[in-house]
Parts: sequence; C-alpha cells; structure tokens
Amino acid sequence: MQYELKTQVIEPTRHTFDHIAARYGDRPATRYQEGTIGLQPKENFHYRPSYAPEREMYDVNYSAYKLADPEGFVDPRGYYYTPYVTNRSEMHEGFGASLEYVTKRELFGRTPDAWKTVMTEVLIPTRHYESGAQMLFSGACRFCYGSALAQCCAYESFDRVGNAQLISRIGIALGDQTATVLREGKRAWMEAEHMQPLRKLIEELLIEEDWADSVTGIDYADRLLSALLHKHLEEVAINNGAGAYSLLIQHLDGWYAEHRKWLDALYKAWTSDETHGASNIELFSASANKWLPQAEAAVRDIAARADELLGADAGCVAAVEAAALETREALSKLGLTVEEAR
Amino acid sequence: MTTEATTNTGGKPAKKLTMKKRYSALTRDLDWKPSYVTEEQMFPHTTYEGIKIHDWSKWDDPFRLTVDAYYRYQAEKDKRLYSVLDGFAQGQGHLTISEARYLNAMKVFLGGVTPLEYAAHRHFAYLARHYNGPGPRFAALCQSIDEMRHAQTEIHTLSNYNKYYSGFHNFSESFDRVWYLSVPKSYFDDALTAGPFEFLIAIGFSFEYLLTNLLFVPFMSAASFNGDLPTMTFGFSAQSDESRHMTLGLEAIKFLLEQDEDNVPIVQEWVDKWFWRGYRVTAIIAQMLDYMLPRPVMSWKEAFELYFEEQMLGGLFPDLAYYGIKPPRHVEQAIWEKDHLSHVVYETLYNFSFAANFTTTVPDEEHHKWLAQQYPDTYEKTYKPRWDKYEELDKAGKRQYFPGLPQLCQVCQVPMCFPAHDDETQTQFHSEFEGEHYNLCSEGCKWIFEREPGKYRQAWLPVHQILAGNCGGPTVPDVLAWYKFQEGDNGEYVGSVDHKHWIEWHDQIEDVAGETADAGKEA
Repeated sequence: MQYELKTQVIEPTRHTFDHIAARYGDRPATRYQEGTIGLQPKENFHYRPSYAPEREMYDVNYSAYKLADPEGFVDPRGYYYTPYVTNRSEMHEGFGASLEYVTKRELFGRTPDAWKTVMTEVLIPTRHYESGAQMLFSGACRFCYGSALAQCCAYESFDRVGNAQLISRIGIALGDQTATVLREGKRAWMEAEHMQPLRKLIEELLIEEDWADSVTGIDYADRLLSALLHKHLEEVAINNGAGAYSLLIQHLDGWYAEHRKWLDALYKAWTSDETHGASNIELFSASANKWLPQAEAAVRDIAARADELLGADAGCVAAVEAAALETREALSKLGLTVEEAR
Repeated sequence: MTTEATTNTGGKPAKKLTMKKRYSALTRDLDWKPSYVTEEQMFPHTTYEGIKIHDWSKWDDPFRLTVDAYYRYQAEKDKRLYSVLDGFAQGQGHLTISEARYLNAMKVFLGGVTPLEYAAHRHFAYLARHYNGPGPRFAALCQSIDEMRHAQTEIHTLSNYNKYYSGFHNFSESFDRVWYLSVPKSYFDDALTAGPFEFLIAIGFSFEYLLTNLLFVPFMSAASFNGDLPTMTFGFSAQSDESRHMTLGLEAIKFLLEQDEDNVPIVQEWVDKWFWRGYRVTAIIAQMLDYMLPRPVMSWKEAFELYFEEQMLGGLFPDLAYYGIKPPRHVEQAIWEKDHLSHVVYETLYNFSFAANFTTTVPDEEHHKWLAQQYPDTYEKTYKPRWDKYEELDKAGKRQYFPGLPQLCQVCQVPMCFPAHDDETQTQFHSEFEGEHYNLCSEGCKWIFEREPGKYRQAWLPVHQILAGNCGGPTVPDVLAWYKFQEGDNGEYVGSVDHKHWIEWHDQIEDVAGETADAGKEA
C-alpha cells in the first residue's frame, strides 16, 4: 500500500539537449550524459595554438591513436564531477580512519624493522612517481580528443596527486609526524639504485610527444607496481606481522582496481575500432614493446630491493615477473603483438 | 623546480611537522628535479613568451587545501546543490520564475558562458602539466576540475528549463556556430592559443579577477532577483571555488611581477589587451542586465561604476602601481561608453534576434522609466526615441529586423555598433595587413589587432563565413537550419512559443485555484 500524492503535470516539450538526443534518443538523459557528451568544441576555431602552430586547439592529431567516433567512448564508471568527488571523499575518509587506527594502536611501533625500511625505501618514493603521473594525465586531459575521455584523464590526474598525498601521509605517520621518512624516501627516489630506472621511466614518459603513448606507457609500470605494492607485499605483510602495511595499502588497491575500468574500456575502444583498430593495435604494440620491458626492469629492481630487505623467500621479484607475464597475456588478448620477456 | 627542506638536519631529534610544513610535504615536496631529461625538455613551453621566472617556490599557496579536504568540501556542496535542483524540478519550479522572458538571460549564459567553463577546465589542466613549479601546478589542477564542476552544474541546473523552454536545446553546437557566440568563443580561443603565462593573465587575472563581477556574477544576481532558485543556488555553491580562483588570479600577476623587472612591460601589455578583450565580452552582459530581466538587479552603468571603477581602478590598480603597472589602456573609452553600451548592443540584438537563440522585445512603460532613471544623460535623449520607432513599427505589424548581416569587428567580433568617445558618429576603425583591409570597432580593438595581426587575421568571423557559404548555405533560412533552430528559439518574444506556453501554463494553475475557490464559496 502506498499513498497517492497528486501533482501538477506539465508535459515537457523535449527530454534532453539535441546532441544527447541525437546519440541516445529523445528520452530523459542521465546527468553523466548531459554533463559530459559533446562539451568539447569541434569546429570553427579562431586561432592556431602558439605552442603547436600546425594543430587546432582541439585536434585528433595530438595522437596517432584514433577513434572513428571519439564521443562514443564513455567512462564505464559514469563519473561526472559529483559522483567522482563523492566516491573519493569516501575513499579518503576510509583511508583516514585506517591511518588513525594504525596511529592510535601504535602499529608502526610493532612493525618489524625490515618492513619499516621496505616502506621507507620502496613505498614512500612512489609518492613522487604518483606526482609525475598527475602531470602526465593533466597533459593527456588537455590534448586528448573528446570530452568523455578528457574527463577520465582529469579525474585520473587528480587521483594521482591524491595517491601521492595518501602515500605521503603514511610516510609522515611512519616518521612519527616528522618528515624524516619522507626525506629518506626522497633520497631513495633521487639516488638509490633500485629507484632510478622507475624515475628515468616517468621522466621519459613525461616528454613523450603523443599523450596516448604516455598513457599506455605509464600503465605498464602501474600494473607491475600494483602487483608488487598492493597485492604481493600486502600478502607477505600479513604473514610477517606487518598488519599496518596491509591496512593502509588496501585503499590504494581498491583505487587501482577501479581505475582499470576506464583504461580497459579505452583500450577496448582503441583496439576494436572499425576504422582505426588495426593501426591502433600496431601503435599500441610498439608502445608495449618499447615501454613494457623498461617498466619490468624498473619494477623488478624495486622488488629485488624488497627481497633483499625481507629475505629471498619474500618472492617479490618472482611476483613482478609473474605480473609481467600476465600483462603480456592481457595485451595479447587485445590483439597486440608483444615480444617475449628478454 | 625546487624542494623545500621539511625536516631537521644533523643528529638532533626530528621536529614534528607544523601545519605549514605538513601542507608543503603533501604538495610541493612531491616535486623533484629531473636528471634523465633536462628541465627544458620537461617544461618546453615556459620560455618562449619572454617571461623570466627565477624561483618558482616563491609562488604562495593561499589556501593549503589538501586533496582529502577538497573532496570532502566539494562532495558536501554538491549534495546540497543537487537536492535543490531535484526539488525545483519535481515541484514545477520553472512556473515560479518572474516571467518566461527572463530565461533569455539563461540562454545567453548556457550558450556563452558554460562553454567557457569547459575551455578553462581543459586549459588549466595544461598549466597543471606545463608549469615548472609545483605550487602553481597544483593550484591550476584544482581550478581545472573546479571548472568542470561549474560547466556540469550549470548544465544540470538549466537542463530542467530546456525541457520546457526554447533556445537551450543546442547550446553546445551553437557555441561553435551561432554568430554572436563567436564573441566569447574567440575570447577564450585567443587565451587558449596563447602561451601559458599569457593564458594565466587572460583568464586567471583578467577574467576571474578583474572582470568577474561584471562577467559571471551578474547572471547569478539576475537569477536571485527573478526567482530562479536553482541558478542562484548554483551561484552560491560556486562562490567558494570562485574566491579561490580570484585569489589565484591575483597571486599570478603578483608572482610574475615580482620575479623579474623585465616581466613588467610584458604583463602590462597583457593587462591592456585582456582588459579590452574582456570588456568587449561584457557587452553581452550589459544588455542582459539592462534589457533582459523582468526584474532588474542594477543597471550596467551602476555595476560598472561599482565593480570596475571603484573596486578595480580605485582599489586594485593603486596596489599594482607599486610594481609599475598602470591602469589598462583605453579604459577611458570604456568609462565613457557606460552610458551607451547596453543600449546599442540590445538594439543590435533586437535587430538580429531572428538569428539568435533568444528572443527580444521593446521595453514596456515601466522599463522605459527605469532606464531613464538609470541613464539620465542618454536614455531619453538618444535611445528611447529609437524604441518608440520600433514599437510603432511593431504595432503596424512590421516588427523591425535589420535586412542583412552586420559588419563584425575583426578582434572582438561584436557588430560594429559602438560610438566613439570623441566622435559619436564614428563607429568604424580600419587597419591594413599584408595588403588586406580589416574592420575594427574601436581604438582598443585596433591596438590589439596591430600588436598581432598575424593572429587576428585567422579569426573565423561568422558573417564572413556566412557570406562565403560555409554556414549551411547562402540564405538566412539555410543558416538557421545549420544552427538547428526550432520554432520559438529566435525573434520576437511577444507571441513566441515560450510566451504562449507561459500564459497557457499559468492559466492552468489559476483555473484550478479558481475552481477550488468557487467550490469553497458555494459550500
């Protein structure tokens, strides 16, 4: 049983905007659709960019990767600003609660020393990597084509500086509210041998001309770092009495799984595109064969340092190698021709 | 790129982080100096404009907003905003605005301002990639996603009106096509194609600080006076974001000026250019304030005096004088124009509204009186007689439209309707570049053109394009079809689709009320 509220009904003249109706039909549209699709100007630009005089302000030719229908790609998460910030507000709140618990119960004090060193030398330096990722995705947001894709890149860039801050907060807590751990982490980032290949990788990715090469390039490193930091070390931590690590890193693992959704959707759109699929696959394969071996070498070095600190039976290097194999398989499934590991 | 030491050195025990150091650890300390690529490779765009930055760490972050706090505040604000939007839509709130013709202001807003928010979203992301310093990069990153928020919340706010009223339905494509929208579009295109520092002065300083109370805020005030609860709520919801953006704009100009004396003349020219460029965009706001609102907020003249002459010329520029910055070139023309601007622009739009996505109409008696009060020196003498003539024509069934297309200014793209200060009969200025002749509306636009003729000759001038047959075909109906106009989008308000619906829907409500009242009497 429910009560019946009488309301005045005035029939609407139309249900949504023309460009939304043209794509999805004249029916009530979602806020994601109205707030996303077709916002990027397409034609009749007035002037050429001073920093790229051969291009238009928005131009498909900022990348060699193409989509026949750039607005056909949508974010499978349906993130426009409000659900995005609402979701991330909850994520950061959850992280804050875990960190508070860790601090209150002095869990870092009960963490084995080797693990403190792992966090300082292996995890904390990646705050800089995440900060580089912010720049990378900000660049992609500006120069990619289509408002749905640009929006994914925008939120990704903000996510990455958010991750950098989460990792920094772990460092501050581990350093007992001082900057000692952050400083050691930064020294490792700048000087320690095991971090140099990763730093070199992100610096070189940041100067890639084609934003899509940067986006695919960083993803190889992201996949392997996630396998190492979010999955494997988390598992080992639980068995090694480093529960604090597990409690905190789960929030980044949750983020990683969710961020894959839009990237995987983009990859699918690229590789299955009726017009450009074959050439996208060729470009993507070249990117994988250029950057994946470098990412693997970089993350393997980091894993080797973790094994050195935790003992060889920690199995970090093996975990990264397994993840690299999985990555090759996933890319092959997309139709890419990926060379075997050297 | 610099890093700030955030801890002690030597053997003493480390100090706990202060709030300030903690903020620094979470933001600019994330940065590092690249060594596998050069700084020039990493930041290739920050040298070609001639701006010299010696120490990026001198950029001051006034907010100390961390990402988790940002998410929390913004999510909370959006929750409140969307509950207002939902309630308004559910309760047929659109019937409670002052009058359907008020929505003409919102049609201009959705078509002419929302796409600017979107452009700012994309290009602040460019700054978040391309500035060498982590402080301004992070500030730009926040602004970039704020601007996305504004574009989306504006669309969601006005989406409900689109369901019932004309003129909103093709806003996105209209920005690329409809002639008068090339005024705001070319302004932003100009900024987005400039270098990263000029963009910051153009948008961060000129648009978001110098002119924001004349460009953005009047729409929000108009909403509040005309019963448009959703837009007003949006306006309040955007306020804290806007104040961050204003602070960024002011910090930006001070930072550039403090970094090197050689920056001063460059910045001065940008202030000159972007003042005039932005001021010309306000022509659209001026007519909106004076003519489009059934319940006016304040006149253009009053707004200009308060927000520009008092606050900027009287407040800001004396501060900037310390750095050697003078009030913008051509400002005296703008001051003189305040008695004329809205009238000549609305008259132009009245004549060409057959090709706009909003309707126009002759002011009624009460409105004439208000305008005469606001403009004692010019309205009754110069402008009212013109309206009287149009009204007469209208009554005779010959509603006035200009039979042709207007001549547009090569720089600001506004039809050339502005009288000149020293010679009111002069509305045209000219320039030559590489043997071609260019028309300009004012000394200000002529000066801008002659600084960068190679840029402004690229302009996609709508009227030229129509005449060249690039806008759907050679006739007006062809062009309107290319604009995807529907019955009721354009032309005269009185008797328009929106006007008829407004009367019909209100009759419906009042009939119901009447019947109930009658029934009550009988009982």
